[in-house]
Amino acid sequence: MSDTLDASSVQDIDIWNRDDMEPRVREILDRTVRDRVKGPYAAKTEAQVVAMLENYFAVTESLEDIVISDVARMAGGASKEQFAFVLRHKGDAKGEKLVLRMDPLEAISQTCRGREAQVHVAFADVLPVASVRNVDADGDILGQPAIILAFVEGVTEPTQGTGHGFSGIGTRYDEWAAKLAPQFIDALAQVHRFDWRTADLSYYATPQPGTRQAAIWQINWWSQVWWDGVVQPVAMVTYAERWLRENAPVCDEPVMCHSDLRLGNFMFEEPSGKFTAVLDWELAHIGDFHEDIAWAIQRLFGTWRDDGTFLVCGLIARDEFLRAYEAASGNRIDPVKLRYYEVLNAYKCAVIDLGQAMRAATESNNHQDIILTWLGSAGAVFLEQLVTLIREA
Amino acid sequence: MLPNIDLRIANMTKALEQVILPALPREQRLARDQAMLVLGQLRMISQQWKSALRYEALSLDELVVLARALASEAPASIGEPLEAALAVAQDCDRTSITALEQACIALGHAVDAAILGGAEHLPLSPAATDAVLDYGLRHARRERTWFKANQMDPDQGDLPDIDAMLAAAD
Repeated sequence: MSDTLDASSVQDIDIWNRDDMEPRVREILDRTVRDRVKGPYAAKTEAQVVAMLENYFAVTESLEDIVISDVARMAGGASKEQFAFVLRHKGDAKGEKLVLRMDPLEAISQTCRGREAQVHVAFADVLPVASVRNVDADGDILGQPAIILAFVEGVTEPTQGTGHGFSGIGTRYDEWAAKLAPQFIDALAQVHRFDWRTADLSYYATPQPGTRQAAIWQINWWSQVWWDGVVQPVAMVTYAERWLRENAPVCDEPVMCHSDLRLGNFMFEEPSGKFTAVLDWELAHIGDFHEDIAWAIQRLFGTWRDDGTFLVCGLIARDEFLRAYEAASGNRIDPVKLRYYEVLNAYKCAVIDLGQAMRAATESNNHQDIILTWLGSAGAVFLEQLVTLIREA
Repeated sequence: MLPNIDLRIANMTKALEQVILPALPREQRLARDQAMLVLGQLRMISQQWKSALRYEALSLDELVVLARALASEAPASIGEPLEAALAVAQDCDRTSITALEQACIALGHAVDAAILGGAEHLPLSPAATDAVLDYGLRHARRERTWFKANQMDPDQGDLPDIDAMLAAAD
């Protein structure tokens, strides 16, 4: 029996019903609009973080003699404020090394820390994921939504390499690819084979199998983000929304999707290359596995070998990747659905870069507004992809 | 203007490159990342600022072409508001970047309503669809060229420089 919320028992999905969306996603998007006016947001200081954490552990766990030390801001990503720290208290003088992952007022994606915590717990015995120490899904005690995770050792890109990218984008893995590619493909397969019906995923809802609801939920999610935050209209974004609604495919068997499964979102140890953590589950949802495959093969996340061959996530040639995924997962890739989800993902990226990032930066509601405008300057890459993909579809 | 804008941008990039970034401790990654992005933005702005008025005018002109194409294909309920928005856009002050930008925004909303087919989601004709996709490609190429100095475009080597792009549009 599933612990997810029951989706409405619709067989015929109204492709223009914008209210057909996961309830928790709706709450988060509504909260974003409601809280937008509370800005501007300033990056938290070390002293503020210490005070927030001391109060949190005192209130939630009644810890005594709390000492928060070694607070270090973590770089990377363009979404959450992250701090490593050590928690000591009367019952633990040695201390725990932890990570505070906290929502700024607005980020490139507005997501739920409760969902993130649930999916971490669900995958604890399946994949390497950081264990969840605490979650404050709505920021009731910390003041802003947050998750506290165990600190995991590892790197997201080789420390000695020929190319380093922003948030893993454009990173060249060269000789590391042979070690990382099989684990990457296995992780994708494990996520999609996961039996979400047996897990506590009460913040999630499940789209109706055998309908177009899986795709429509995604369009409704991201078009809501666009229309709630649009700074300047973009005709191609609007047309893409229309095309996506009118061409939404049926999803026969919804699976867990990570939704940002690419290099840069894995940590591994050097020199073995063994994965130590799969990161950034914030966009996870139950949907069509083609969405994750289409995400991984995006040009922006890949690199080119010297002979001109495109490498998915800088690791493996596209055809080889698709074959290996099918073998590992048992799923058969439908090229029409794959193309559809390539369009959907390009749309999502355009919405993130040209919509939500621009709104958050315009309102000065992020701790790193300058990264948001930098990402926005790359948004047109996705607009051209939309034109190309739709023309070829 | 003395010192002029180019000189001041050059001074800022030099200060960042030669003094500020080297002084930031390696462990201060967020500060280093943001300083690097300031440097990158300044370099892009140095290439863009003299052409910004021309760029915004070109953006509006191309949107006007799309709006006209959509208006000619649309039923009255959609075409009339689009024609009204076109008239306002064409009256804007073309010597002002802000006015051009605002005109693009206002006309863009009217174009969006036409693409969505109004509240009834009326179908788009094949000609209107082609017009949107043609415009979409021109828009994307223009913006990719404008921002290619961010070096995030996988196909940046295929793009012209800003002056060549604007000259081709004249």
